[in-house]
Amino acid sequence: MTRVVISDPTLRDGSHAIRHQLTTAQISSYCAAAEESGMPIVEVGHGNGIGASSLQLGESLLSDREMLQTARGKLLNSKLGIHIIPGFATIKRDLSMAIDCGVDVIRVGCHATEADITCRHISYARQRGREVYGVLMMSHMAAPDKLLEESRKMESYGAEAVILMDSAGAFLPNDVKQRISLLNEGLGISVGFHAHNNLGLAIANSIAAVESGASIIDGTARGFGAGAGNAQLEVLVAVFEKLNYSTGIDLYKVMDAAEYAEKEILEVIPFVKSTSIVSGLAGVFSGFAIHVNRVASQYGVDPRDIFFELGRRKVVAGQEDLIIEVATELAGEKDKG
Amino acid sequence: MNANLLEMIHRDCHEVTAASLPTLAPLKGECLLITGGTGFMGTWLAELIAFLNDTYNFNSKILLLSDRAYSFSAKAPHLAVRKDISLIDRDICSIVGIPSEVSLIIHAAATPDSRLHASEPLRVAQVITNGTASLLASASRLPRLKRFLNISSGLIYGPQPLDLERIEESFCGGPNCSSPSSTYAEAKRYAELLCSIYRNEYKMEIITARPFAFIGPYQLLDRPWAINNFIRDGLTGGPIRILGDRETLRSYMYPSDMAFWLLAMLLHGVPGFSYNLGNPNGVTLGQIAEKVANCCPVRPEISANLAENAKIHRSSLVPDVSLAQKTLGLKLLVDTDEAVRRTMLWNRAQVSNC
Repeated sequence: MTRVVISDPTLRDGSHAIRHQLTTAQISSYCAAAEESGMPIVEVGHGNGIGASSLQLGESLLSDREMLQTARGKLLNSKLGIHIIPGFATIKRDLSMAIDCGVDVIRVGCHATEADITCRHISYARQRGREVYGVLMMSHMAAPDKLLEESRKMESYGAEAVILMDSAGAFLPNDVKQRISLLNEGLGISVGFHAHNNLGLAIANSIAAVESGASIIDGTARGFGAGAGNAQLEVLVAVFEKLNYSTGIDLYKVMDAAEYAEKEILEVIPFVKSTSIVSGLAGVFSGFAIHVNRVASQYGVDPRDIFFELGRRKVVAGQEDLIIEVATELAGEKDKG
Repeated sequence: MNANLLEMIHRDCHEVTAASLPTLAPLKGECLLITGGTGFMGTWLAELIAFLNDTYNFNSKILLLSDRAYSFSAKAPHLAVRKDISLIDRDICSIVGIPSEVSLIIHAAATPDSRLHASEPLRVAQVITNGTASLLASASRLPRLKRFLNISSGLIYGPQPLDLERIEESFCGGPNCSSPSSTYAEAKRYAELLCSIYRNEYKMEIITARPFAFIGPYQLLDRPWAINNFIRDGLTGGPIRILGDRETLRSYMYPSDMAFWLLAMLLHGVPGFSYNLGNPNGVTLGQIAEKVANCCPVRPEISANLAENAKIHRSSLVPDVSLAQKTLGLKLLVDTDEAVRRTMLWNRAQVSNC
């Protein structure tokens, strides 16, 4: 039975969906439940990773240190993971602190074509003896060959795996198959996949990834995550079991963890809304949904139009300020019309 | 640098020269320019020549050219203050004139750090190609130049076929020239070609060394190579994590052997010849991890990080050094086990020195 490592970013990607307002009680209880289920990796932090809490991206209720220490207290066998994006997270202020808090797995993310910026963070984490993955976000925005080239950079910096993030939920299963196969052929390290469900394909895409050689798959409780959410964790575990892949996770217990998340953390169970679909079609980061909806209603424009215009401009996370610019222009055109 | 560390280096230099001193005799009274002089190779060459000067009155002079010359006093303060060593703080690409007293040159400027190859391929290519061109042009005008050793790379052969136990100098492989990840190797190939042209047109006595992998004192443990990471992990209590396929084959030469071989190639190599430089005895990553773990006071756990679903990427990089051994009479004095043991000792002593 081939083993697939499941990484659970419920308390990180899910943070987007509740405006980064996770409490210590939620982190503590969810981590205890995930630990109980045998979850290999539990990721914790602000939706955009450690060090990203800010006015522009949304401020976390808790400090990074509080979140990590709370999680660490409950995760004994499960590894504690973080997502960091160089630029938001600095080595001295954030990464060093996170490692001191006992983080085991560090996932260093960047835009799909910008792997160069991850060199120092990956190297530092390796020097501190931690497990490090490179994460190529918005991977639909780069051609497969480019993804391989960027992944090779991360491998050369010392990354122990490269994760392709379908941040906009824009991939179809064949897109995933093509990219994961290419990376699996061209790299000497493990390959992983992080799905979003904008087009309702998160589970199908995760299966395509594993069947093409991916060995690390992300999933969140009830699919809790930015926009339309992620691959639903408990479904992933069940499906992989059915497909004869071993996850080492207790199905009933991961279902219990998901029940807890639904009752105590989720404000709304993620589903594929119209804006999620257009976000997937336009190839815009799922995490924009909350801001787009708010701005659309403020300016009286259709959020779907905002998404398509943002997609045309090829915006990436961190460019949330462009939402207002686009809405203003659309509102202006509407007034003229 | 504490006395313990200096004593280790001194012992290594003594060991490597004890039985073969006559090989290095032509170095006496010469002035040697080393580019990349403050790097791993340059520092070891300086250590060995300084030892020869102190112990056997070689009276050789060393010029270390580097764009990081300012950092040498922190790295090797005992060398930086010596009267027989001068530092030239200059970028190799902008070199115009070389002191006329220089009679021997070892051209080692270039970083083998693969992280830099990936992030700054243009800069890497320029340092190797433009730097070599500038140096050769300047060297061709030197009145007393006797010999020039160009440090190339074992990577110029491209991927080693898995059924080939060791790569000979005549192996006609080659990296993928259209991939940015081949920058370092392709630039080194071009540098070799430039050397051949200068040898042909200017009748310069140019020899090429193609180094493989090394482990020993002065090698930084933050470099992204397996054995460095294993040692670092081992020294910090582990676990030692093997990235990729544990059957991947590498070989490691100890730096006192490396420095001796380099000088022997410079002094006795046949102009126009290229010599592999390294340890011909391959070890798998799994074996290396075991060797490192065995040298730790408390044996750390060894884990393999390659998931079962990942494609196996086995590779080999092991030189055939019989050309250097047979024609230059070179021997390997420090085997892999001993190299690992000494490197661990050095790094532990360095930590206690901090």
